[in-house]
Amino acid sequence: MLSRDDARKLIDQVLSYSKADDCQVTIGERDLAQTRFAVNSITTSGRSDGVAIYIWSTKDRRTGQVATNETSEDALRKAVARSEELAGFAPPDPEYVEPLSPQKYPEIPSYDAATAAAAQKEILSAVKTAVEASQAKGVVSSGYYERTASALALGNKRGNFAYATRTRAEYSLTSRTPDGTGSGWASAEGHRMGDVDGARIAGIAIDKAVLSRKPRPLEPGKYTVVLESAAVSDLLAYMFGLGGVFDARAAEEGRSLFTRRGGGTRLGEKMFSEKITVRSDPFDSRNPGRPWVGNVEVEIGGVGQIFFGGAGVAGPSYLPTEKIDWIEKGVVKNLVYTRYWAEKKGVNPTPLPAANLVMEGEDHSVEDLVRSTERGLLVTHFWYIRYVNLQTVQVTGLTRDGLFWIENGKITHPVMNFRFNESPANVLANVEMLGRPELSDNRIVPAMKVRDFTFSSVSDAV
Amino acid sequence: MDLTRRRFLELTGSAAAAALAHELFGLPELNAQNTGAGKPSEALSALAEVALARAKKLGATYADIRINRYRDQVVALRSTPDLATGKLNHVPAVRDTGSFGFGVRVIANGTWGFAASRIVTKDEIARVAAEAVAVAKANSALQKQPVRLSPVKAYVDKYTTPHQRNPFDVPIAEKLALLERANAEVKAVPKVFSANSTLVAHSEDKFFASSEGSRIQQYILQCYGQVTAAARDLERRVSRQRNYSPSPYTAGWEAIEEHDLPGNGRRIGEEVVEHLSAPPVTPGRKDLVLMPNHLALTIHESIGHSTELDRALGYEANLAGTSFLTPDKMGKFRIGSEIMNIQGDRTLPRGMSTVGYDDDGVKATEFDIVKNGVFQHFQTIRDQAHLVGEKESRGCCYADSFDSIPFQRIPNVWLKAGTKPMTLDDLIAAVDDGILIDGRGSWSIDQQRYNFQFGGDAFWEIKGGKKGNMISRVAYQSRSTDFWSSFEATADQRFWQNHGLTSDGKGQPTQINAMSHGSSPSLFRRINVLLTD
Repeated sequence: MLSRDDARKLIDQVLSYSKADDCQVTIGERDLAQTRFAVNSITTSGRSDGVAIYIWSTKDRRTGQVATNETSEDALRKAVARSEELAGFAPPDPEYVEPLSPQKYPEIPSYDAATAAAAQKEILSAVKTAVEASQAKGVVSSGYYERTASALALGNKRGNFAYATRTRAEYSLTSRTPDGTGSGWASAEGHRMGDVDGARIAGIAIDKAVLSRKPRPLEPGKYTVVLESAAVSDLLAYMFGLGGVFDARAAEEGRSLFTRRGGGTRLGEKMFSEKITVRSDPFDSRNPGRPWVGNVEVEIGGVGQIFFGGAGVAGPSYLPTEKIDWIEKGVVKNLVYTRYWAEKKGVNPTPLPAANLVMEGEDHSVEDLVRSTERGLLVTHFWYIRYVNLQTVQVTGLTRDGLFWIENGKITHPVMNFRFNESPANVLANVEMLGRPELSDNRIVPAMKVRDFTFSSVSDAV
Repeated sequence: MDLTRRRFLELTGSAAAAALAHELFGLPELNAQNTGAGKPSEALSALAEVALARAKKLGATYADIRINRYRDQVVALRSTPDLATGKLNHVPAVRDTGSFGFGVRVIANGTWGFAASRIVTKDEIARVAAEAVAVAKANSALQKQPVRLSPVKAYVDKYTTPHQRNPFDVPIAEKLALLERANAEVKAVPKVFSANSTLVAHSEDKFFASSEGSRIQQYILQCYGQVTAAARDLERRVSRQRNYSPSPYTAGWEAIEEHDLPGNGRRIGEEVVEHLSAPPVTPGRKDLVLMPNHLALTIHESIGHSTELDRALGYEANLAGTSFLTPDKMGKFRIGSEIMNIQGDRTLPRGMSTVGYDDDGVKATEFDIVKNGVFQHFQTIRDQAHLVGEKESRGCCYADSFDSIPFQRIPNVWLKAGTKPMTLDDLIAAVDDGILIDGRGSWSIDQQRYNFQFGGDAFWEIKGGKKGNMISRVAYQSRSTDFWSSFEATADQRFWQNHGLTSDGKGQPTQINAMSHGSSPSLFRRINVLLTD
């Protein structure tokens, strides 16, 4: 992995080719080991080492952006020259924000040497456990295990520099009964492979597959639901992060849930249940974040986002990361202010665009939530959620891999999957009881009991 | 020092170590004829030889290498008024992205193995080939059936997307000027809040060599643009967007010029303002007339995905899901009405999935997916064809990067036009109570592709056979087979339009794929329409 010194040298090398007023560079290196299996057998598996170098050159508020994975001296010179050439063509950006002067970035331990050293052999052992357990129970399992180790660095002509390393392991599997009427799913993740208990999630997925066999249809309508933490995390992705729902500018421009009637924002309003407290906390050791805002690693090898000027809504600001409350006891505490919008509004920029989410819970297990429910549905997780109306955050999607009827505090039978049309904003208002927070899909969230959740049609899918 | 760090630093210091992408691939040819007798680069063939020889020596029974270079250019312009002064801020984004590297795929002990690297040197190619073999051998412990590949001819050829002007050669200033004109047309409509427009060019230089003798060099070029208008009503706390998203094509800049972004900018500006105050739909069973740029996504989700063989066999069960179509339904299961004829096709002119050869080295082809409403064939790749008793792959293999593992992806999947003379107006005239839907809105479908919900970008009421005013808050729900069974009429070939999609995700890790779903405007009877928020 690229060391701090190597990263600094490489960034200095790139900056030394720059003739622009400003130049900003980010580097990411990612070692990915991954294995997919399906129908109780490995389908694809591989190892790759990806690199991405992003360069922003600015002259007279005109910015050109280049990304490359070629790191020879010649290629780097050409990349810098190209970014300057593009800057020359671009018109001046009226919303340009200057690169940061040297910042003090926090150290956040998120690298685990044992995880970085692990690869195919360790992954294979988890896969073998699942396959053997599946065969023993007569179900068919499919899954995906990946582990990444990455080094990330940023620097600019004004002397700012930061470096961080990171590891992560993610494992999910789906078990299906051979008659095709039952399906169960479970996942585990963490920055340490040691935290990913493969045998445990294989057990959950297999049990759910067997329990969900031969589901019965139920009329669509409004029901009380117990959402497991994975289902909560699936929904909250559409409230925090995706779509820019918390973006202050979108609110003020009249495009968001947080737009006040007639103009302005709903900051400070109590819009949700008193039980709801949500923050971003990159320092939470259960899911440590990055030292700065904006990441590099997801873009490696993929088609990158468009960054308007490197500082717009979608762009990374590279400010030091901080803990911040979004909702406190149901009250909207903060909205996301980009550096441009913050400067315009005379407020401090928000350090995080709703990453590293942590929602407070209550001291209840999922079983407790079920026990407290007279009539309702237990939801394992959701699938294919899309916005129907970004302004109300109405989304649609489907339940998947285990939907069960609850009667008088007990699970009685599996139910056919439903499509839902609902807003997570309503869900956060209609909460009745919370479980203990757990890490699921990068968010630490509790299971939830929620009233009046709207299911709109039945799906035949298993 | 660990291996990756050493390799990284070796390269950074020296210009001589690695091949430079642009030198290896050369310049793409304009107006290519693609006769089938093209000559791939000798330098690329020599590099490939290293991987194939190394894999064979280590016991691989099959090997291939893809040496690929990708380029993306995005030019965008967002025109938003300053809230305090009302002055229009034009915020540009200009970005060039590139990546280059190779991936080696082998079969050893009857099991696939894969490894990749961005360092294109002979030493690194040999190392990565050995790593791919090691991965295959380790995984073979869990392999139940050995991988079997359907036969393919050895091709030596060069293919280039036909194009007249390479979009990467079009000056940025010319692109920005076009976007400025488009945004200005949108903003010329009073009550429009903001305008946003984008131009994208994507190219793939691909070289494929296999241990079975193929040496194939391809240049695939995609080009597209769009313009978006937004309007808002602060009192009602409602905002709406309207897009003009002409079909992405495998083509050159000439396609962008055909699209007339500025001319359509004015139209969508007017339509977004109408949409903002359009009355809500009355929900219930209604007839739908769907335009090709809307139907593309419905075809994609209900037919494109359900006819992927890997899904049907359970290979995608952990994420994308399985399918309501299973191999026993081939040739006999009725999906829709008699007029439903759907092709799988990697040869369609300008189709976003159109290539000379797929990433298995199989020559591009066209095949029946649905004929007269009955399901015919799955999309397949070489290691799947035998699983449904077929002798050859249908050429649907693709990987989105040199370091992605090739797997089965949706080709161009298009609906044949009606054979009887029929216009869009004829379809509308046949509707008493219905909705005309244009463009894409929200979309969602279950993991076996039964139950779906679609929105749209714009909706017009149809009453008594006449197109009326815009309405709002429309979505419709159906089951794939119910929906296609209610497919009553489709306009003839004069109205048929190709429509490309650029970002279909599948697999773990997720890979992106592009394809086209052409159709003519089509009529569907009595579909369940919802009133949304």
